[in-house]
Order: sequence, then C-alpha cells, then structure tokens
Amino acid sequence: MQGAQRGTRSWVSRITPWAESGAKPLSHPGCHESCFCQWWQSLHRTMLRGVLGKTFRLVGYTIQYGCIAHCAFEYVGGVVMCSGPSMEPTIQNSDIVFAENLSRHFYGIQRGDIVIAKSPSDPKSNICKRVIGLEGDKILTSSPSDFFKSHNYVPTGHVWLEGDNLQNSTDSRYYGPIPYGLIRGRIFFKIWPLSDFGFLRDSPNGHRFSDD
Amino acid sequence: MAQSQGWVRRYAKAFCKGFFVAVPVAVTFLDRVACVARVEGASMQPSLNPGGSQSSDVVLLNHWKVRNFEVQRGDIVSLVSPKNPEQKIIKRVIALEGDIVKTMGHKNRYVKVPRGHIWVEGDHHGHSFDSNSFGPCGTAQLLCPKDLDGIFVLVGLEMITAAI
Repeated sequence: MQGAQRGTRSWVSRITPWAESGAKPLSHPGCHESCFCQWWQSLHRTMLRGVLGKTFRLVGYTIQYGCIAHCAFEYVGGVVMCSGPSMEPTIQNSDIVFAENLSRHFYGIQRGDIVIAKSPSDPKSNICKRVIGLEGDKILTSSPSDFFKSHNYVPTGHVWLEGDNLQNSTDSRYYGPIPYGLIRGRIFFKIWPLSDFGFLRDSPNGHRFSDD
Repeated sequence: MAQSQGWVRRYAKAFCKGFFVAVPVAVTFLDRVACVARVEGASMQPSLNPGGSQSSDVVLLNHWKVRNFEVQRGDIVSLVSPKNPEQKIIKRVIALEGDIVKTMGHKNRYVKVPRGHIWVEGDHHGHSFDSNSFGPCGTAQLLCPKDLDGIFVLVGLEMITAAI
C-alpha cells in the first residue's frame, strides 16, 4: 500500500513537473501577451531545462570517462597499432598489440623487451623497437663481417634500441642511445592477426651485446 | 537493523561513486593541465630560489602549454633528467632545433641542435647540470613550461630538483 502510494506520486510528478514546482499563474496582472508568456514559460520549464540538463549530464559523463581512459592509458596500458617494417618478423605492418605502462613507472624494462618510445627526432611520433642494452652495457656496433670490431658504451640513464629487421630499421645505430625518459610502454602481447595471437617471441638476432 | 545496514551500504556506494569520479579527474588534471612543484637547488639563481636554502620557491607547472611540444627560446621548462630518469630538472631553453650554440664547458665548442632536440641551460652558469654536460635534449622529455608569475595553488606538491 505504501509502495503503491509512493509509486503513484512519483509517476504523477514525472508527468506534470510544472505542477510540482510552484508554477506562476499563466495570466498574471499586466500580461497582455499572454500567448507569449505561455509559450516562454512552457519552453523554459520543459524543453530548456530538460535539454540543458541533458547536455550538462552528457558533458559530465564525457569528462569522467575521458579522464578514466587517460588514467588507464597512462598508468596501466592500452591497445596499439604498429606500422612499418622495422620489427619484422616479430611484428608485421599494421599488427595490433597490447602495451603495458607499469614496467616503465617501476623501472622494470629488461634487455630483450619490445618497447614503445617517443621518437627522438619527432616528439609527436612513437617508435617501436627492442631494447638491446641498458645503461653501462657495451654494444657491438660494427657489423659481424667487419674485421675491426667497434663498441659503444650505453651512458647512464639511456637505453640502446634496435629493430628486429636490421636491414630496414633506423634505430640507435643511427641516432645513438635514447634516454630512458622517452620510453612510453612495453609491448608483450599480440592481438591481431589472430594467426599470430599470443606472447611475442625473442629476438631473432640473438644477443648482440657483450658484457665482460 | 535493516535501516543501519541500508545506511552503510548507501554510504559505501556514494563513496565509491565519488571516488571513481574524483580520482581520475584529479589525476588527469594534474597530468594534462597544471600542477604545483617546489624548486630545490641553486642552478637557476637568481630567477628561482634567490634565497638559497632558506626558502624554496613553489612554482606552477603548466602542462597545457606543451601539449604540442612547442616551446620558445627563453622559456623555463621542467624536464626528465637524461642522466637519471627518476629526477626532474628545471632549466631555461636557450636554443631550438637547427640553432647553433656556443657552449660553455661542453666537449665541442659549437654544437648544432639536431631535429627534435632543444638546448637547455641553468641561469647560474657553472653551478648547473644542463646541456653543457649532457648535450642537446629531446623535446619529448619536456614535462611542462613553468609559469613565472606563479599562482601558488596548493593542490599537490612534487619535488623538483634543479641541482648540480
């Protein structure tokens, strides 16, 4: 009984909102343009308030979900599409992979990880390469066929990146070691194409650094 | 009994709803728009920390201005240190990409700033760990330019070391 009464009241209030909110009489003294007043008041109470309220609610939800998405992409991880041939055969052109950002914040990037980093020559684009050496490592920079081997030491706070497709990759052999602060995330799982679904393989080039 | 349980559950629900709205919005605001930081060190004297160790300046970091990575010469910026990714440093932008810089204490006398890099120096020359030590710095490491006429809004405090 009580529930029915309550339900009836709310049903009634939904149908006739202007009756609840202390409506001004539609024809008050001195109102010659009663049609205009009528129209304006009904517009104000039903449409404007409803539309404005809905717009604000929509904007509020957009802001809230946008912020949640930003926090998720920045601190947890996200889905990334890779383009370019420099990581073949591990990652082909237009593969979709899953990247996580937790390792970067906890400084847990290891040798052999595939990372996404900001490009050192263009801060708006990202590059996707494999970490060959961390700070302090000695990197073999000459090709294996050279007689005189040349080495580079990776300075503190930097990493050495190389693509898996050594013939077709501009990486640290071209622009040198990049600072750790440019790394954005670590790729560890491939989603698309489905034939290649799963965790990513180790480097096809084997170890190319010597630490003695 | 049922009423007090209902009250607890309602409170928990309201708390969770508020939490999941407030925390992401606050974190996004501090990451993308602006945040507050305290400056330590003497490498930007006399512009920042003129009083030395007696009083540290508190500054407003404007993230919104570098969302496109566009800075001007003379801006004071905060960036991740290339030598230690856990540390952030505050320096002034001296030269942009393509400029040729006459260095003070670098191994080369003249350096051309490569594409996508900037040259930063502290105002207190000689007491500053800046591009004269580590060379040109990638623009992507920029965190934010600093608003010199800072409004000291105490939303959160982050330690920024502008040290040797």
